[in-house]
Amino acid sequence: MAAVGFFTDTTICIGCKACEVACKEWNQLPDDGLRFTGMSYDNTAALGASTWRHVSFIERPVPLTGQETGLGDFSWLLQSDVCKHCHRAGCLEACPTGAIIRTEFDSVYVQPDICNGCGYCVVSCPFGVIDRREDDGRAWKCTLCYDRLKGGMEPACAKACPTDSIQFGDLDELKDRARGRLERLHRHGVTEAYLYGADAAGQPGTEGLNAFFLLLDKPEVYNLPPDPVAPAMEAKPAWTSMAFAVLGMAAAAVGAVLMGRES
Amino acid sequence: MTFVWRDLPSHSFSEDEPTYYERPVLKEPVWIWAVPLYFYAGGTAGAAAVLAATAQALAGDELHGLVRTCRWVAAVGGAAGSALLIRDLGRPERFLHMLRVIRPTSAMSLGSWVLAGAASATMGSALLSDHGGLPGRLGHFAGSLAGLLGMPLAGYTAVLLGNTAVPVWKATRRSLPHLFIGSAVSGAASLFGLLPVDLSPREVRIVERFGMMGKVADLAAMTVVEHEADRIEPVGRPLREGISGALWTAARVLTGASLALSLLSGRSRAKRAAGGLLGTAGALALRFAIFHAGKASARDPRATFRQQRQPREAEANPQR
Repeated sequence: MAAVGFFTDTTICIGCKACEVACKEWNQLPDDGLRFTGMSYDNTAALGASTWRHVSFIERPVPLTGQETGLGDFSWLLQSDVCKHCHRAGCLEACPTGAIIRTEFDSVYVQPDICNGCGYCVVSCPFGVIDRREDDGRAWKCTLCYDRLKGGMEPACAKACPTDSIQFGDLDELKDRARGRLERLHRHGVTEAYLYGADAAGQPGTEGLNAFFLLLDKPEVYNLPPDPVAPAMEAKPAWTSMAFAVLGMAAAAVGAVLMGRES
Repeated sequence: MTFVWRDLPSHSFSEDEPTYYERPVLKEPVWIWAVPLYFYAGGTAGAAAVLAATAQALAGDELHGLVRTCRWVAAVGGAAGSALLIRDLGRPERFLHMLRVIRPTSAMSLGSWVLAGAASATMGSALLSDHGGLPGRLGHFAGSLAGLLGMPLAGYTAVLLGNTAVPVWKATRRSLPHLFIGSAVSGAASLFGLLPVDLSPREVRIVERFGMMGKVADLAAMTVVEHEADRIEPVGRPLREGISGALWTAARVLTGASLALSLLSGRSRAKRAAGGLLGTAGALALRFAIFHAGKASARDPRATFRQQRQPREAEANPQR
């Protein structure tokens, strides 16, 4: 199977949240409680154990390039966020049970019958995507609709997206399409547009995302980390430090036993 | 001109250092109190197993009491630690899934294997080594094995925290192992002061020296950890503020007081008990401080953003 993924073009997202609803329905996810966050039109707030698509509503006192408004500087940014299915996935590399696997579609999948809820993936995801469900005790996140892919269908969110802001398909083809779209935007004067996580060169810490984005402002504006790194990539200095510390402890034990001998 | 959106959340939008309505980027660790308690139990067990194996190898016949006590401390620590970790799981009945695979990229996977081995070896050595003949020899062999496995047992938990996305743990991944090992030695030696066991004066001296080295290493490593965390301002903040900051200060004061007490002359039972109490409280406070600092750090989006931005900007402007 070829690698598949999402290209989320935030410039054409209209914030309808059809993706959130379609995801909840197809995957039969429980609700998160009726909360009012008080921040813009976003009462979903974040991705989580039972929220696998989340639409961010960003209100900026900054105009879009070429935009003219009647009341001064203001613009909306909308983005449907999702698990990135990283090429080097922090959660997968941290999982001690082998519950988190890479599928034949190159997606990252949590096997619910294996996960024992240790919680290590939760702190190892540099995007804060995966979480443990309290009533259930296991870790959950976007499956890239593994069951639908098996049946030859596209994921529910992409299917439901009315503007094709969420595009699903063969990863190489998506990247070509994204580059074409970026070029076109730049040609039309939207020079701030850029691709987030489309390749390993742009995001070495994850070696590229299978769900990448076209954004119009800094990653932080969308609550995305500017330079995410899969924790295991930086593990070596920690293990080296531990080796020295542990040898120090053994030396201290030898020293203590020998020093105790005198007097 | 009046701006209708002055009162909207976007009013707080900062172009220089934006966040998404101050919401965290990362998920807070889901672990409960059992995890920092395990850090203490596993560290104590590891350090005790190392001391037991060393004493056995260098002067086994003369230090019989010390070896025996250390082995029981290690055995109880290993068993209690395993129980605490199972208690923390979302699905405790599936704890054996930890031994389904070996994943070298996961400190928790490697640590689970170390714990499984160390807990078995420490229990075996404690139960068997008092017997004569083959069981006794097996017990001593298990004790040596426990000494070897006790080393990573006391230290891997620091690597486990360092290899996460949580800013304060990630920033201190080089110094955290030294801190955890120092605290493990200090904690194990302190526990001896509280146990109702009769050790010979020589054995008391050994434990005291061991503990002093641990406390000195612990206090020195605390300073290095602070320095590493403070390189990026919001990353080091949890070690100064809030519950974690208070626990961090408490750990320093308690361990420092315990060290000062052991430097005073005299080896009375009461003095050792007081030093042991202070040292144990210090070791516990330290693990809870690091644990809560991680929770606070994960909640702070600026810690995450600046930690990732700063090295990039330093690279772009090398003169600064």
